[in-house]
Amino acid sequence: MIRVLKAMIVREIQEHKVAFVYAPFFVCIILCFVIASVYFGGTNIQTDQFNFSTEYYDEEIRQTMQSVSSVSRIDIVRTGLLVLGFPILLTVGFGLLAYSLSTFADERKDRSLIFWRSLPVSDLTTVLSKVFVVTLIVPLMVLPYIILLQLVAMTSASIFFATNDIVSFGWLWGSYIITDWFRIIFSLWAQALWSLPLFLWLMLAGTFAARPIAGAIVPPVILIVLEGVIFKTNLVLEFIENRIGFWSRSDSFPKEYQELRVVDITDILLLFSTQAFWVGILASVILVAGIVYFRSSNSDHAID
Amino acid sequence: MNSSKEIDMSNAVIKAHNISKKYDDSYALDGIDLQVMQGQIMGLIGPNGAGKSTFLQSVLGLLKTEGTLEVLGLDPRKDRHKLLKEVCSITDVAVLPKWMTVIQLLNYMDGVHPGFSIEKCIDILSRTNIKLPSKIKVLSRGMVVQLHLSIVMAIDAKVLILDEPTLGLDLVYRKDFYSQLIEDYYEGNKTILISTHQVEEIEGVLSDAVFMNQGRIVMQDSIESINRKYLELRPDQNSVDAAQSLNPMHHRTELGREVMLFEDVDKDKLMELGDVRPPVIADLFMAIMETTKVGGQS
Repeated sequence: MIRVLKAMIVREIQEHKVAFVYAPFFVCIILCFVIASVYFGGTNIQTDQFNFSTEYYDEEIRQTMQSVSSVSRIDIVRTGLLVLGFPILLTVGFGLLAYSLSTFADERKDRSLIFWRSLPVSDLTTVLSKVFVVTLIVPLMVLPYIILLQLVAMTSASIFFATNDIVSFGWLWGSYIITDWFRIIFSLWAQALWSLPLFLWLMLAGTFAARPIAGAIVPPVILIVLEGVIFKTNLVLEFIENRIGFWSRSDSFPKEYQELRVVDITDILLLFSTQAFWVGILASVILVAGIVYFRSSNSDHAID
Repeated sequence: MNSSKEIDMSNAVIKAHNISKKYDDSYALDGIDLQVMQGQIMGLIGPNGAGKSTFLQSVLGLLKTEGTLEVLGLDPRKDRHKLLKEVCSITDVAVLPKWMTVIQLLNYMDGVHPGFSIEKCIDILSRTNIKLPSKIKVLSRGMVVQLHLSIVMAIDAKVLILDEPTLGLDLVYRKDFYSQLIEDYYEGNKTILISTHQVEEIEGVLSDAVFMNQGRIVMQDSIESINRKYLELRPDQNSVDAAQSLNPMHHRTELGREVMLFEDVDKDKLMELGDVRPPVIADLFMAIMETTKVGGQS
């Protein structure tokens, strides 16, 4: 079973290497280049909400940085690195959405479904291999890019701070917690589980709809409208909005979680204790059953 | 090439009883009863819409049918993935995933199929022009079929299902396909079920033939028995009336000469009236179609 799953997961990665390997790598390299050009080339990146430049490092900032407590320093470094990783996570998130929508639609389109189904692999195993890819494998694959980006950012900033006499080279490194790598991966796994119903819904649309994008969008829109008209509620819309967002910022969590912060492992335990999480898991189980049903029915059309 | 004497008749690999499949108002399969024994190379022969592919798909567990169907003692629909460890198929030439490279596909097969030998497959492919790093989408149609057959040949399976395997291929590839199949793959204990329109190309390969039309089996027999039972006579000009008096089951004109098909008529008696030979399967099929008056084209 492990051997079969391994072969299937490798196949998924090979087929979708652009979404899972090349795109996040490309974004990571671009970000590394941007960071290096800001710290070493004097480039300024400024928007209404975002300021990434070396221009504001004056004497006041220098003194503030030197006097900040180690706890606050860790928080600052963590938050900075968290924001830094967002573009990679967003890229992979879009990649996962595209993957979910196309993975079963493409095999119907190019008729390779007939070949895959001629092999001794059950439909359930096939669906579960894709669930593993979404929930476990892709988050693991994205971690090295995030770590690389963090290391590049930490090194560049440390060199800049040290060479400009702002703070010592070790100021940042002393606040870099390597065990945060585990927090990141657990948080990503939790996010994938939290958003799993959305990914599975897209996969389901790929198994039954002639136009998967329309198949993915139209039924929820109809449900949302009907719910609004008949019951005057918007539970479906809230469910979708919640699952698109970060799990720690959903309605099920206390208000302090709404702020931008790095989650703790214990927060994940809190997630597992929420009703919303288990509602999502139940919805996922139902959706997996639906995908298996439609996929097994898809070759039921031969006439000769 | 296979005599029925070599076939183990006690060992039915496929048992189909009263198999039916309805699409809207028409039956794709209409009460099929068929037993396929171990070692048989059985050809399903019939026009478009005869139900050949539908039957083969049901044997592979790919679609639901009514009736009782058992393949190697398993229900294909319920135990599909268990069954497919022992049954392999080429159901269509265009279904290998185009985005993969040949070696990626072989590695995948090695991972998911317990009966697949990657070394054997690479050995078979080394005798072709197919390169392991090539993407499947750059291979010609004939090479894709060759690749598919090489994969199937590297699987230690008991039953092989071929559904129009050489459709769209040129003559050279078609000939190669069947000679490779018989010379390199077939062993006495393997069972092969083939459906094709190109009857003349598989005729020498088959041990048994099943004629299908409109979802029904109209005739089923071994090639040996067919050759014994049916004879084709090209009567001499002055023997045409005498030949007619023997009640041929079918007659046609070929290049201005009468050709008559007889069933269970003494060969010596016919030989006195002209040239006698066993009918080719395609002609026998046409004759059976016309005599059973169910119509259809070949």
